[in-house]
This record gives sequence, C-alpha cells and structure tokens, in this order.
Amino acid sequence: MVSEILTLKGESDGTSASGDFPLYSDVIYRGSPPFTLPTSILIPPGLKAKIWAKRLSAEGETTFLIYYSKDVTVPSPTWELLSAEKLASKGELTLEKRRPLIIRSLTGKEGFKISWLQPTASPSKAYIELEVELTDEE
Amino acid sequence: MVWVLVMSRVVDPYGLVLENEFLVAYIPATEKALVFRVRSRINKGFERFHYGPIPIPAGIPLPSYVGGSITVPSDGVMPMFSFIPHPGISFPMRGAYDETDMWYMPSDYRDRLFHVILDVTPKWLRIDVTIPKGVSQGRFQKDKITTGIDRIMGFTRGRIELIHFPKIYYGYRFGNDSNLNVYTGVSFTYAEYVVEIPKNEDLIFNILTRNISSKWVTMPINIYDSAIKSALLEVYGIEGFTLYPVNARDKALQEYRSLIGSAKI
Repeated sequence: MVSEILTLKGESDGTSASGDFPLYSDVIYRGSPPFTLPTSILIPPGLKAKIWAKRLSAEGETTFLIYYSKDVTVPSPTWELLSAEKLASKGELTLEKRRPLIIRSLTGKEGFKISWLQPTASPSKAYIELEVELTDEE
Repeated sequence: MVWVLVMSRVVDPYGLVLENEFLVAYIPATEKALVFRVRSRINKGFERFHYGPIPIPAGIPLPSYVGGSITVPSDGVMPMFSFIPHPGISFPMRGAYDETDMWYMPSDYRDRLFHVILDVTPKWLRIDVTIPKGVSQGRFQKDKITTGIDRIMGFTRGRIELIHFPKIYYGYRFGNDSNLNVYTGVSFTYAEYVVEIPKNEDLIFNILTRNISSKWVTMPINIYDSAIKSALLEVYGIEGFTLYPVNARDKALQEYRSLIGSAKI
C-alpha cells in the first residue's frame, strides 16, 4: 500500500487578480530564492490524489478553484473545474472532508492545480493549504 | 460453524522472524530455497532506524523518464522525473565492514544474516534492486522483457523487503515519476540474525512443504548470476534446497541429506 500525505501550501502574489498558486510542502525542494515552484501536481501513474482538507484564507474577496486535467504534460493543459470555494470578504475557512475529492491517474499524465480569482480592482493576498494524499488505495 | 484462526507466531509485528523460528529465502531462478533457523537476534528491540536521505550527491546527472538527464540539485534530493540508473546505490556507513555498503558482509560472517525492510519517503518513489549490484532482476514472459523502475512495471513503491546474503552486493534503485523535486528519507526496519541451517532433512522438507510454519521471503532473483552462485557456495556450501511436491518426499529427503552434509553453518 502506498500512502503519502502532503500539506501543500500556496500563496498568491497579492497583485494579480487571478493566477495559479505556486505549491510547496516540506518534501518539495525549492532551492534558493527566487524559488521555482510547481503550479500543478502530476499524479504518478496508478495512484490517486485524495484531497482531504482545505484551509483557505484571504485579505479580501477571493474564490479558490481546484482544477484537474487529463494531461498536464502538454504546454497548455485543458483544465476542468473540480471544486470552488468563495470567501466573500477577508477571512478564513477550514473544510475537512469525510469523503475526499479524488483525482485518479489512469495514464500518468493527470494532475491538478489550485487557482485564485479576485475582483480586478482590489487584488490582495490569498493563502491555501491542502491536505493531499497520494495513494493506491481505493 | 465457528472458525477459529490459529496463527503461529513466526514473526514479530515488524514482520521479522522470532528467535527459534524459521526463515526461508526462496530464489525463483533456481527453484531452491535457503532455510535458516534463527538462533538469535542481535538488535531485538532496536529494529528501526532512520538512515537519512537517499545517498545521492548534489551535482550528479540522473536519467529522466521524459528523456535526457537532470542534475541532482542538492544532496539527497530526487529531481522530478528522474531515476537512479544501473548499478544502483548502496548505503554507506562509517565503520562497517565495507564502509560503502552497510549491508555487505564477507563470507566468514556466514552465521549472520540481515533481514531488511526499506521504507522511503515520499512513499510514491519507485524502488527496485539489482542483485548482484548492476544485474537487473526484473523479467516478464521469461526473458522477453526486462522490467524495473525505468519501465512501466517491475518495481514497488515506498517499501521493499529483502534478505541480504553475505558476499553479495545489492544495488538499490529509486525513481521519482512525479513533477516534484523532493527531499527523500530512508528508514530501515531490520534484523541481524544469528542463523544456522537445520540439520534434519525431515524438518527441511516439512518447512518447504509448509507443514511447519516459517517466514518466506521470495528474493527478486530471476537471473542467477554466477556471482550469486559462487557467493552462496562460498558462504553456505550449498545453493539451497530444491522445492519438491509433498508426494516426492523420498527423493527430497535423499537430496536434502546430501546437502546438509555440505552446509557450512
């Protein structure tokens, strides 16, 4: 049985009204600043990503969007929306799931990303933490 | 009807063999098995230790699943889409008999046997092993296809369990088929057994026909390299006991009796 739980963290740049969160965790090597971090996670073949928990916070109105793609290896993946949560104003939200969001890697090319969307007139900092399990369990 | 499952206690909760129980190391390539009685366990109560990162130094290039190569950015970091090529790596330890490989023992350590369970972090990393170091053992459809971490099959993820025979170097290979550069960590659960080969052919037959409980470890040895053969003969004096069906008892006992006479421990 394979099971690895990652706490993926992301932080928006505070100046863009929309974008994809650069993701990191304790096992992801970032190197020295300026960091080059992935904005999407490819799921190794045969495994699935289970998103058990989301912790969202923002300085202002923000929508958090989780997308998956059947092929993140191409230059411009096609993204499908899997989940969306909206903070109407400054605040935070913690969502823990008894049944997780699941994204399966059937070809070894599937992956997911997390994006933010804010009013164009007032972009602000947004933060996300995801508890993601990469596993071969049902 | 109520079924009561009676489990013999051959192993401890780690899966390591208890004292005075039997360990069978089966070699598919020869259809033979080495049978050991565990006389003692040197590290009882201290089976687990964290080795540290996979010993890959910064700056070396590793082959990539997507073509070309990719440089290890920092000690112990597995770059995205990279894998460790042949012959694989060993685990150095200062003061060990061979400081480049903590699991290697010479032939005169023949009464010692390492039972090793390796766990790697992150758990999705692919693992296979070359025995002897550099000889790939994964095969599909006889010798039609070589398998391993650089193929779509022939590897495990996160954990591997092996018996380390003296006089043979093993090469561990790891693969990271994610798009993340990852820090790695290796933990070992192991037993240093003091072993002997049972000197009773009936007992060996009953163990190999599973009439007597034992712990079986099927070694990933599908290619019987001459180095394995010579090492087993030098260390144990025998290559193992052939598996026979239960109705071939007389033939088996005759062969086992002869082999026991050649056994060095």
